[in-house]
Amino acid sequence: MRHRILVLTLCAALAPAAHGEDADLKAQVEALRAELVALKDEVRRMHAESAAAAPAAPAPAAVATSPAGAATPLPAATMPPAGAGSTALWGYGQIGYNRPTAHADEAQADLTRAVIGFNHAFDDATRVYGEIEWEHAIASADDAGEVEVEQLYLEHALAPDYGVRAGLMLVPLGMLNEHHEPTNFYGVERNFVETAIIPTTWREGAIALYGSTDTGVSWNVGAGTAPDLGAWDPTADEGRASPLGSIHQELQLAKAHDVSLFGALNWQGIPGLLVGGGAFTAKIAQGAPDFPADKARLVLGEAHVRWQPGSFDFSALYARGTISDTQALNLTFLGQPTPVPKAFWGGYAQGAWRALEWGQSSLVPFARYEEFNTGAAYASQPESLGSMPLPTEKVWTTGVNYYLNPNVVFKVDYQHFNNDDPALGYGNRFDLGIGYQF
Amino acid sequence: MNVRWLLPLVAAPVAQVAYAAQYMTIEQAQRAAFPDANAFAAIALDKAASGVPAAPPGWSPKVWQARAGERSLGWLLVDQVIGKSELITYAVAIDSRGALISVEVLEYRESHGGEIRLAGWRKQFVGKTAADAVELNKDIRNISGATLSCRHVTEGVQRLLLAGREILRRDGSEIPAHGNG
Repeated sequence: MRHRILVLTLCAALAPAAHGEDADLKAQVEALRAELVALKDEVRRMHAESAAAAPAAPAPAAVATSPAGAATPLPAATMPPAGAGSTALWGYGQIGYNRPTAHADEAQADLTRAVIGFNHAFDDATRVYGEIEWEHAIASADDAGEVEVEQLYLEHALAPDYGVRAGLMLVPLGMLNEHHEPTNFYGVERNFVETAIIPTTWREGAIALYGSTDTGVSWNVGAGTAPDLGAWDPTADEGRASPLGSIHQELQLAKAHDVSLFGALNWQGIPGLLVGGGAFTAKIAQGAPDFPADKARLVLGEAHVRWQPGSFDFSALYARGTISDTQALNLTFLGQPTPVPKAFWGGYAQGAWRALEWGQSSLVPFARYEEFNTGAAYASQPESLGSMPLPTEKVWTTGVNYYLNPNVVFKVDYQHFNNDDPALGYGNRFDLGIGYQF
Repeated sequence: MNVRWLLPLVAAPVAQVAYAAQYMTIEQAQRAAFPDANAFAAIALDKAASGVPAAPPGWSPKVWQARAGERSLGWLLVDQVIGKSELITYAVAIDSRGALISVEVLEYRESHGGEIRLAGWRKQFVGKTAADAVELNKDIRNISGATLSCRHVTEGVQRLLLAGREILRRDGSEIPAHGNG
């Protein structure tokens, strides 16, 4: 109906000209009229094709009448509605089987994690993101599983290029912490460096600014909660497996006396190349009265590079952390197996090759070499009571990721450890796994 | 009456909200790709005849023909794909011979993966035609951390190139004859 009115209006507007004596002008009007009829039919057909295209109707008529030189685009409203008010669900999961070659009796199968994520757009600029995770299949008073909120933050875009986040968010360090879905990494298990040194998935309650530039630089700076050194357990192995993993708080009634600062900078100006790094620092005594390490400060820094030319994928990362003022605290831990390290570090280099590809499927063999040390140095103690550095662990992982499609992966690998450490599960082993994300 | 002066105060944040995810309007994309055009005519894409394999359900890109007088300069196709969980609106400009002129990201709403807006990444598509592979990790390089967005936009561009080829076959590079619907 609206088109008919438009056509009539346009014809009426053109009528005085048509009454002129110029025959050419008359012919032009006739041509325009024919064009309008044709466009009207076209619009009707577009309507039939897509209800969402309804608001597009006025534009074709506008094209016919547009003066030379004026572009007449359709309004953005012709696209299907998106953004504001929308809610989306996503998820990923991972199941693994580990079989130590020397201790077959310790072979284990585990539903490592199942995650449901969601986001909701309150308006075009404001969203909430959340991820809820189940680890090890069952969580109850008698079981080893855990249920955790892995992320829950609000994000508000202040401009197309930058915005602010607030809530429980992943610390933007390394390549795995923020992109930890099983389809995103090679091998059944996540790499050791970004588990033992950067405790993926490491999150803090924080407020952060993020943004990107047209030159390919993306940045992220924030302030938030910090680990709690008071939670260090010198009798347990956790501190040796991952110093920060054993004292992170995950916003669970977190002690919040101390404020952390973190930042990350990445450059992706050349397609296929990623160069970046990040740092995190905080006092971690949390103001506990009479705490022997009341000035303890954590500093963790990392640098990474990834190069994905064609069917190859090369990456490397180095991370190093220090915790200061631990001498007096470790003195109280004398005789215990796990003092607080003064320094810990790790690095890896990895190469993968998309060797075969058919349809949506692909076969990607890979190899990764890692070195890491969760107790590379300890604060010196009087009378030679100090702890000796731990041996550096060296791990080779070789295997294949078979992608049934880009979102479903089957994995097999073999891991060779330089030093066996049964308490931490370090020993040569075969791994099998499946993973997905949607 | 006495609260009318408040209107600009209300309008300012509303305007900011409405365009926070929008990097470019369709009109800006049209002018950037076809600076010599003096009109953009909406063209219906006949899906049944489009011959585009693996088109998702509800796929209905909007198409405009860029015109300079009676000459066709090419087409601007605007489509949406899902990045990880939200829609990315993007525009592909194709010249009158079917070769890609530019890819522009009009709207990006996700928390991560916005690096697909980088000029360097989008430039990889320039010159591609429907005869090219246009596949991620083959002739289009990935952006680490934005894999899903890269993959889905790449697949979308490939579909639009095929759609462009069909329009070219149907209409040729001339202004379509009128009166035949």
